[in-house]
Amino acid sequence: MKIIVCMKQVPAAATASIDPLTKTIVRTGRNAVTNPFDLYALQTALDIKSGVGGSVTAITMGIPAAQKVLQDAISRGADDGAILSDRAFAGADTLATSYALSLGINKLGGADLIVCGKMAVDGDTAQIGPELAQHLGISHVSDVSEILEMAPDHLVVRRVWDDVEQELYLPLPALITVAKGQNLPQLPTIPGMLRGRAAQIPTFTAEDLQADIARCGLKGSPTQVVRTFTPPVRGEAQTIDGNEAQQAGQLVQIIREVLHGAD
Amino acid sequence: MDQTLIRKLVSADEEYLRDESKKIGHAETISFPETHEQVCQIMAQLYETGTSVTVQGSRTGLAAAAVPFGGHVLNMSRMDKVLSMRAEDDRFYITVQPGVILQKLNKAIAARSFDTSSWDEASQEVYQSFLKAPVQMFTPDPTESTAAIGGMVACNASGARSYHYGATRRHIQAVRAVLANGQTISLRRGEIFAKGLELTIPTEQGDTITVQLPSYKMPNCKNASGYYCCEDMDALDLFIGSDGTLAVLTEIELSLLPVPALTWGVSCFFQKESQAAFYTKLARQIKQGIVAIEYFDPCALDILRRQKAESTAFAGLPFLPDSFGCAVYTELHCDTEEQAYELLEALSQYCAAAGGDPDMTWVASSDSDRDMLHFFRHAVPESVNMQVERTKHTYPEITKVGGDLAVPDEYFEELLELYDSTLKEEGLQHAAWGHIGDNHIHVNILPRDMDEYSRGKALLAKWAGEVSRMGGAVSAEHGVGKLKAPFLEVMYGTEYIREMAALKAAFDPRWMLGRGNLFAPQEEVE
Repeated sequence: MKIIVCMKQVPAAATASIDPLTKTIVRTGRNAVTNPFDLYALQTALDIKSGVGGSVTAITMGIPAAQKVLQDAISRGADDGAILSDRAFAGADTLATSYALSLGINKLGGADLIVCGKMAVDGDTAQIGPELAQHLGISHVSDVSEILEMAPDHLVVRRVWDDVEQELYLPLPALITVAKGQNLPQLPTIPGMLRGRAAQIPTFTAEDLQADIARCGLKGSPTQVVRTFTPPVRGEAQTIDGNEAQQAGQLVQIIREVLHGAD
Repeated sequence: MDQTLIRKLVSADEEYLRDESKKIGHAETISFPETHEQVCQIMAQLYETGTSVTVQGSRTGLAAAAVPFGGHVLNMSRMDKVLSMRAEDDRFYITVQPGVILQKLNKAIAARSFDTSSWDEASQEVYQSFLKAPVQMFTPDPTESTAAIGGMVACNASGARSYHYGATRRHIQAVRAVLANGQTISLRRGEIFAKGLELTIPTEQGDTITVQLPSYKMPNCKNASGYYCCEDMDALDLFIGSDGTLAVLTEIELSLLPVPALTWGVSCFFQKESQAAFYTKLARQIKQGIVAIEYFDPCALDILRRQKAESTAFAGLPFLPDSFGCAVYTELHCDTEEQAYELLEALSQYCAAAGGDPDMTWVASSDSDRDMLHFFRHAVPESVNMQVERTKHTYPEITKVGGDLAVPDEYFEELLELYDSTLKEEGLQHAAWGHIGDNHIHVNILPRDMDEYSRGKALLAKWAGEVSRMGGAVSAEHGVGKLKAPFLEVMYGTEYIREMAALKAAFDPRWMLGRGNLFAPQEEVE
């Protein structure tokens, strides 16, 4: 099974800072670490590889220094890695990032399974996985906490939400986002560390990916961060069901209520 | 004189009658001074009646040094201020009161955040440079991070990183102290030295005290047993590790070091203890970059396996395959990645040469991975304490019977064999971990009933005798306190103990300070 794991370099918790003008996270590459959820994603991928065979490739988008997360992934058992790095990608929101990642994954020849962390601890959006699946036109399941069954053509996964626990049959190719669960990340070994350091990691630019520049970076990012704040905990969780059109309709209604109050 | 500083000890003060050794003492009065001057007043008042005084920090000690033996409890927990900062030759020094807690101090140093409102102008100026300088650290790292700095100085505490950076002693630059009679002394490293074995110390009140230092030769290994004494020694060193028996420390100047660019941890696993010892021997050949070499024996790993399986609090421990017999953790402090990778390659070779498998190692190079390995290290003593607490429900008198013995390099293998054969012979449950790089492993006997408790204590006494024969130390880092005083006599013999007593009497003629510590008859503690 060909597995690709999306990984992100995030500021170490103690050193994160926000640019006062752009209200985006300052990324200098110093004191940066692998997004903790991505380590669970990587471990899930390695466990699946060890169960059904295949390969694990780590991919990231970021400044050149972000290739450290790929070295880290290789030191923990990934076979190889690739970085998407170009000034054209700078300032990307989740839509532009997932677009670029989809091109990168296609450049790598696609995958049977794509594994992402549940979310990144810097942006906290949890949007990349689902958006990436949409770009690639494949199914996805978010918040997977356990792989119950693995086979070359499908997975059975468990996900646990506040009030719902689901077991889902997922035909491949597909994408999952992974929560912290049974998949406790294993530490690198000494030979793994040396392998990670020696790894030749290819860099793909926007041109290499034949990307539509208008859909990349700041230009391709409709998201505007007006302010950042911690929402109050309301202790409510709502499950929506039905076919896609029905779910979308309910979702629109909920968003409308949040933004404008009930009709 | 403020007569209200000393008050009667009441039942609500019960906690001040014990420390982490779980021993319970007794006392009549207690005080909580906040300043040097208050300590002077208290001591002067107690001197009139010759009342015995037990000095307490945060009572995390394991040798019962802070357990009172009657008389007065001088609790320093309210002397918890950082008083000043100084710089010299690109090094920073901070002066603290003895009740400052190590963990809080480390946080303040790392965050570069001190309450400087009461500092003098010179300290304020140095503080501005400190804020711009590379992040600093105070290196002594005893497992109990809630230790008070005063307590750490009293027992010359160390920890894993002492393998490279040395014990607390090496990081103490000056002290101010109050003697039993209320007079005071100030000692700065490099200023007052003994002439041969004769040492003269001036008091701030203009008197002088001349003492003859004991003539014993200290063990050639990690040591926190008895007074630090040698020819031409620095006077300051006498008061570090003196177990609260010579003077009450009120101000302590600590030296800081810059935090290294990289801190990496490497765990290697072996089938047999002898392989771990051989790996350690090889790793010790590396002179730069290795700051700690720590050991976990098979019983310690088994305890962790059980904890991980049974308790959600320990679920985050890394998985330990059954093939992992015992473990050695090596910590690297490096300036460059180049150096760190070179050390990794060397350790990989040593691991293989000792019979381990480099593919079954753990490397922690990020904060989160390091946290995991720290959790692993600290989970062992925590689990052992939990197990002892469970036993105490049935046998309240039982405590952990823990060794703190160290020997010179050439005797380490013999010591390991001694532990192994005698523990097997006695059939006692145990777990061992600690500072294998310093030939210093804490073997903890876990008694399941009173018979095993007695046999465990007897075994510990036997080991103390054997270690003394090997030229080792009966306490390498916990201090002697009350619990190990009989072992100190075994280690040095009665004649040298008499010399130590004469030294103490010169500073404390009424034998008030730390009564029971270093010289105590064991049976006086409950």
